[in-house]
Amino acid sequence: MSRRLVVLLLPMLILVGAMGLKTAVTAHGDGSFMMANGAAPVPVVSKNGPDPAPAPWRNGPDPAPAPWKNGPDPAPAPWK
Amino acid sequence: MPGSASYAILLLGTLLEALVVVCAVRRKVLRKYFVLNLYMLLCVFVSLGRYHILTHDGGVKSITYRYFYFYSDALLTIVLYFGLISLYISVFEEMKVERYLRMGAIVLLAGTGWFSYTVVSQSSHRMLTYFAFELSQNLYFVGLVLTYVLWAAVLKMRHTQALLVQLVLSLGIYFSAYAASYSLSNLHPTFYSYVAYMVPIIGCLLPLSWAYAFWRVPEEARLSPQRLAMAASR
Repeated sequence: MSRRLVVLLLPMLILVGAMGLKTAVTAHGDGSFMMANGAAPVPVVSKNGPDPAPAPWRNGPDPAPAPWKNGPDPAPAPWK
Repeated sequence: MPGSASYAILLLGTLLEALVVVCAVRRKVLRKYFVLNLYMLLCVFVSLGRYHILTHDGGVKSITYRYFYFYSDALLTIVLYFGLISLYISVFEEMKVERYLRMGAIVLLAGTGWFSYTVVSQSSHRMLTYFAFELSQNLYFVGLVLTYVLWAAVLKMRHTQALLVQLVLSLGIYFSAYAASYSLSNLHPTFYSYVAYMVPIIGCLLPLSWAYAFWRVPEEARLSPQRLAMAASR
């Protein structure tokens, strides 16, 4: 087997092994692993990944329209 | 806001990280282990940045801290990955396979990046954040496997340089401690809060052991890793 083939195959083998190990370790968790380079305290995270959850809308997910001043219809153009 | 104990651990960790670089300069091994020292130097700056955000921007619950923590973590994990590859190059120095090792490292990093992308490609919003988080997680496990493979190579090739052996073993213990703590936190939800306290303490272990290695172990010192392996198996 040529060295170039080994260079391609061995990293793939290591990647498969590492992802298999990750699956085994995180199988019963929520999928998020606590990384820790350095000694800083771990931030408080939501269960699904590092992103903060968006602020919920009151009535469904769509943004509410800007309210009209005098009822829902557009105001007519004034007479000259 | 984190308690004074958290700040004390952060301060201790930052000092130990700086001590690694100081010891490497003093022992004149900075160039030989340049990437490892670059990693430690980056850790110092990142720790200072995290401290600044913790004290000025709302503590561990602030969004700024979260983003800074995970993005900086992804950066540090990538540098640690290249640090590990530099240890591979040192171990396989006599075989003259440096070019192949570099190519393999790039292929593995690209493969990990591609795998991380396929995992996060489903999420349409904030994909970059999820990608950085996923990539650092996956690289962490790749680093764990690579460290054990390197240790097996050290045993097989009968590498006797004590400093290199100590650096590799420290890295193995560091990675294993995180994997063990995470497995523990999965056993029961109540363990998670304890593990969250353990994580920064474990973060101090790597700079502590590396600082000790650079300070106390001379570069020309030799030992037989086979004896260590035999002692461990008894």
